[in-house]
Amino acid sequence: MKTKRVYLRELAHARSGDKGDLVNIALIAHDEEAFEILKQGITTEILKSWFEGWTEGPFEIYSIESIHSLNCIIHNVLQGGGTTSRRLDAQGKALGQALLQAWIEV
Amino acid sequence: MRKHFDLLSKRMVEMSKKIRKVTSATPSVLIGGAGGFWGDRTYAPVDMLTHNDLDYITMDYLAEVTMSIMSKSYSSNPKLGWATDLERWLKKGGISLLREKGVRLVTNAGGVNPVSCAQMVLDVACSIGWTNCQVAVVTGDNVLSILHSSAKEGEQFQHMFDKSKEPLLHHDEIIAANAYLGAGPIGRSIAKGADIVITGRVADASLIVGCMLHASGWAQNAENESLPICGPIHSWSEKEEQESLDLLAGWSVAGHLIECGAQVCGGNFTNLPANVDISDISYPIAKISFDGSSIIMKSKGGGIVNRASVIEQLLYEIDDPSNYITPDVIVDISMISIEELGDNQVKVSSVSGRIPPERLKISSCYHDAYFITSQLLVPGPEPLAKAQQTDKILRKRVAHLKDIIIETEFFGAGASLPLGLRKLLDKTTNSNPREILVRWGVSSTNRQSLNVFASEIAPLVLTGPAGVSGYSARSKPRKQLAFFPTSIGRKHVEEQVEITFIHTLRSEIEERYPWLKRNVTTRIDNVMMNSDSRTKLAVARVIRRRLHMPRIWKAVN
Repeated sequence: MKTKRVYLRELAHARSGDKGDLVNIALIAHDEEAFEILKQGITTEILKSWFEGWTEGPFEIYSIESIHSLNCIIHNVLQGGGTTSRRLDAQGKALGQALLQAWIEV
Repeated sequence: MRKHFDLLSKRMVEMSKKIRKVTSATPSVLIGGAGGFWGDRTYAPVDMLTHNDLDYITMDYLAEVTMSIMSKSYSSNPKLGWATDLERWLKKGGISLLREKGVRLVTNAGGVNPVSCAQMVLDVACSIGWTNCQVAVVTGDNVLSILHSSAKEGEQFQHMFDKSKEPLLHHDEIIAANAYLGAGPIGRSIAKGADIVITGRVADASLIVGCMLHASGWAQNAENESLPICGPIHSWSEKEEQESLDLLAGWSVAGHLIECGAQVCGGNFTNLPANVDISDISYPIAKISFDGSSIIMKSKGGGIVNRASVIEQLLYEIDDPSNYITPDVIVDISMISIEELGDNQVKVSSVSGRIPPERLKISSCYHDAYFITSQLLVPGPEPLAKAQQTDKILRKRVAHLKDIIIETEFFGAGASLPLGLRKLLDKTTNSNPREILVRWGVSSTNRQSLNVFASEIAPLVLTGPAGVSGYSARSKPRKQLAFFPTSIGRKHVEEQVEITFIHTLRSEIEERYPWLKRNVTTRIDNVMMNSDSRTKLAVARVIRRRLHMPRIWKAVN
């Protein structure tokens, strides 16, 4: 079966934040249909591939049906946390917008 | 301790009965969230007080990293260590508005030094003639001095998320350790008559829950002097008890939604409509009901509150949505209902609560290493290749420094994307930057190595690839504090939580005993911050009694 590329920004909006050395990225689907596609496409494996070289995880994904949202948790990604990260985006605030540039095959 | 919780559980049942009675008479409470961090726009609280008739205004100044920053300034000057922005807006008319409109202020601006912060507040209040302003300060979150004693009683202080890490006490230079207090002491402070409540580390949402504990009459019902930090911990089975937990959970969600200021009103919002102006962005107000639901709305001004903006903030900085832990209650938002009412109003309901854990979270930090950043501009043609070449040259020149860790980022070439995703996008899209900003973030336990690294940046302008520029002053290594989340049994913290009303100005102390100006007030703060509860209480009492110097002297020594 032929698949097509769907960019996350077509499916969802996002916000990311930090807690210690983890970042949470909320993906909020535009509607129910987009939410179904998102649930299929966003897996811990795909998160792992996107974050390869930055962290080995673990990765967790929580689904909140009533608000069509996925909460993606990426552990050990901030080089110890917001105060010790050597990156400019020390708290992973830009990572939500980063993911909106990614795509999934559906 | 258990007895307090038993008492509390009875009271919670009484409260839920009482609340149901008052529901019709007092349908809701208006609480403003006029600041999301230390450094947020100081016009917001003044503006919000001017344009609204609030019951309470709350200001959250403490992000996870803020306590580390404040600890650094406190260690260099014991009069600092609190959010100085508070002073700025109180002096810009904020204090008069609070007084005229009878709005109570609840804030964690106290940081690592709430006593000094509260003294400042009283100073400002007195400057407009509000001499009977009741300023309460909540202390006891600072657990630095009890780490070792409670370790003797079996506390481990392991890392909260990664048990493989060295426990906290294995690190030499622990700079700060603060437990997250809950809403209890805040509610109680207001019930005792506080116009302004200054705290150190409390859970963000607890600022708002504390106001609700007062508004609902619960805090006034607490007859016992020692107030639990938060909700009860032993198991309940009654339906009414569940209702009380659901209430705390609903209030916590309302608190979570407004504690980051304008982030729920269109700030940091992916779906911001093109016609919405956020240059004069509003800050949020929660209209919180006694059934646990709330309506999130905005103050007068720009921005937007809709379903999408509320959901983005709802999920901000949380992990498991069915297990959001606060000191007051465990919140479950997995069945939450979010309903757009129009006119920038969104109703939030269907949140449930569970009994909070026995252990309180501690945020602590220790001195880890030194840190330095440098950056250079690399222009085209072929800016990325040139920037990579610049980095290579630099790394060769500092190769003899074995004790540094270098992170190089190429801005303009996807540095803000996680590495795997960046590689994927590079393969498929044709990005053609015009220039690259290359940035080095370098850490080391050896300060001198960082100085050597820093000295190699400027020469790249004359000895590197063509056109490299943008060099500014040589950066100096600064201390890097590592954040360490851990936990502690409630009883250790409950024993030292205190509410103190500040009645004596620092200036009065200094005026009366000028020869003590430098040392004693500083030492008093130190005693207040770091000593055991008994000494601290003694000093507080003495201050309250408008000074009796020999006793202070005794207490200090």
